[in-house]
Amino acid sequence: MKTIGIPRGLFFYYYYPLWRTFFEKLGVQVVVSAPTNRRIVDQGLLTAVNEACLPVKVYYGHVLDLCHRGVDYIFAPRLVSVEYRGYICPKFMGIPDMLRAQIPDLPPLIDIKVDLSRDERQLERDVFELGKLFGSDRYKVKAAWAAGQQELEEFRRIAAVGFPLNQAVTIWERAGEAPMASGDKTRLNPGGENIRTGGEASEATPRSSDLTIGVLGHGYSLCDAMVSMGLVRKLQELGARVVTAEMLKTDEVEAYASTLPKRMFWTLGKKNIGSALWMDEEPAVDGIIYLACFGCGPDSLVGEIIARRVVNTPFMMMIVDEHTGEAGVVTRLEAFYDMVARRKNAV
Amino acid sequence: MKYYLGVDIGSVSSNFVLTNPRGEVVEAIYLRTMGNPVQAVRQGLSMVMKKYPETTIRGIGTTGSARRLAAVIMGADVVKNEITAHAVAASKFYPEVRTVVEIGGQDSKIIILRDGIVVDFAMNTVCAAGTGSFLDQQAMRLDIPIEHFGRQALKSKQLVRIAGRCGVFAESDMIHKQQMGYPVEDIIAGLCEALARNFLNNVAKGKDIQEPVVFQGGVAANMGMKQAFEKLLGKPVMVPQQYHVMGALGAAILASESITHRKGSRFKGCGFVLEGDFTTRSFECNGCPNMCEVVTIKRDEEVLAYWGDRCRRWEASLTEQRPALAW
Repeated sequence: MKTIGIPRGLFFYYYYPLWRTFFEKLGVQVVVSAPTNRRIVDQGLLTAVNEACLPVKVYYGHVLDLCHRGVDYIFAPRLVSVEYRGYICPKFMGIPDMLRAQIPDLPPLIDIKVDLSRDERQLERDVFELGKLFGSDRYKVKAAWAAGQQELEEFRRIAAVGFPLNQAVTIWERAGEAPMASGDKTRLNPGGENIRTGGEASEATPRSSDLTIGVLGHGYSLCDAMVSMGLVRKLQELGARVVTAEMLKTDEVEAYASTLPKRMFWTLGKKNIGSALWMDEEPAVDGIIYLACFGCGPDSLVGEIIARRVVNTPFMMMIVDEHTGEAGVVTRLEAFYDMVARRKNAV
Repeated sequence: MKYYLGVDIGSVSSNFVLTNPRGEVVEAIYLRTMGNPVQAVRQGLSMVMKKYPETTIRGIGTTGSARRLAAVIMGADVVKNEITAHAVAASKFYPEVRTVVEIGGQDSKIIILRDGIVVDFAMNTVCAAGTGSFLDQQAMRLDIPIEHFGRQALKSKQLVRIAGRCGVFAESDMIHKQQMGYPVEDIIAGLCEALARNFLNNVAKGKDIQEPVVFQGGVAANMGMKQAFEKLLGKPVMVPQQYHVMGALGAAILASESITHRKGSRFKGCGFVLEGDFTTRSFECNGCPNMCEVVTIKRDEEVLAYWGDRCRRWEASLTEQRPALAW
């Protein structure tokens, strides 16, 4: 059986269930790189181009991790667009080329182009071509693709219940291992309920304040605890309920995003702006934090637009990069949490 | 008489404030951290203890970038971030304050308050240019004691424009101007304005700066900076008398607030702090591929704290053995 490696980075957190199901239905064994650890980050930093942002560098580390595992192929799609008239950051377009240029002895890359900015015909053709590589006919490929889409929807349903994408991935995987009725999956506690408190609790206002904090940013930064320095977990430990873009209704997010004078053409940027504006008007959201990676081109614009348009709710922009010292992140999070808590109690 | 001790261990200075239950400062000590926070804690505490016996301390609060370390060594009742501590202290002196500008050794921040509540804040991001340690460095290069830096700036009649965007550029700009023969006070005044401009353009960008404006932190000692802020903002800027120890004062006030809800301080006593040998070591945990760098704080052979393990296994091992340390 052939093996295909999927790097645990970038759009992994948005599309993994689709990819995995599709390849498995074609009879290919899927191998996923380890959750990001220090070694993966270090290897990525050593290999990647200097100008790339941290998540891209970490992606290199995941590809190298898969190389060491000796997989037959590595799945590194050339992502241009995942929706009509919406685009992904240009670095994603160049990912397969950047990998080939910098990693010698790379296993064959499956760098299928995903460009849905106009229509789906080209992707369909490429998916059939891909199926041929693994000896599948059109009908089998079609069935595999449909099964993948179905799992993707299931995964999005899990996320919408109230789980950050990384937790949703874990739940989706566990659900696949031990089949249960789809109703059961959503019966699990929404994110944060079973997160341990205590520890540094004395550093912040007690849990009784019961705050809801909206956390925005690119999913692949937020979901990777090494990149985000455990932002979501730290907030949950302080006692906050965390709301992410995936927990909001897509059409409402779209509606808020469309209030901009000009259409935002980055898919994730649009999602973040729409979510931020939605959260800004939602009284249940007490504060909004935007996590950006140092050197992110789209965020230099998107973050700025959000900072200017969020007017009702306390907002904080946090920029992270390669540093491992957590003191700066902790100080800012605690200060923000304190501010929101004291403000709420004063009202 | 009972007192509350606030301790602010920052990157450059370590400050100690003793307040009475009304929150009035009875003792303020400003020391240089000199890269050794443990030593700073000991020195400050022994200075306090000379005048005020141990039993008069009713509670301790810590803040600053070494707040957790200081809290472990002394047994603090409150550990608070600098933003909250500074805001609390500023409100104590100026209940009406609406803007706090705080510039310390490595951090600079702006805090916006309305009706005594922090409603917005910002801190410098990835760059520490324009904070106290940069001024320190420049004072040393020009061979002017940092205490006289501000006075020099006030002497200037016609300041020189210095690029403030980045510390490296600012320094080379200063050297160019100096080699062209500009008087040193004009260069210093130019530097102060460049730093104030940089602060307002970066840290305070988009913030609604309303009066009263309070300027505190070590850099507030520099009259040149105060003047530069007043000029650029077109508003009077107030510097509290205890500007250099405001973080510690805030920590002391927060300690007094927390003690009222609970009985007894966690203060471990003078002997504990002054006599033992405190060491910090780190090791790479091999428990999983995360390879966390775990920091161990020890007093002689006794482990006081583990930090940095993402899974908390080290931290938890400690609290399970000795529940008394579960803070």
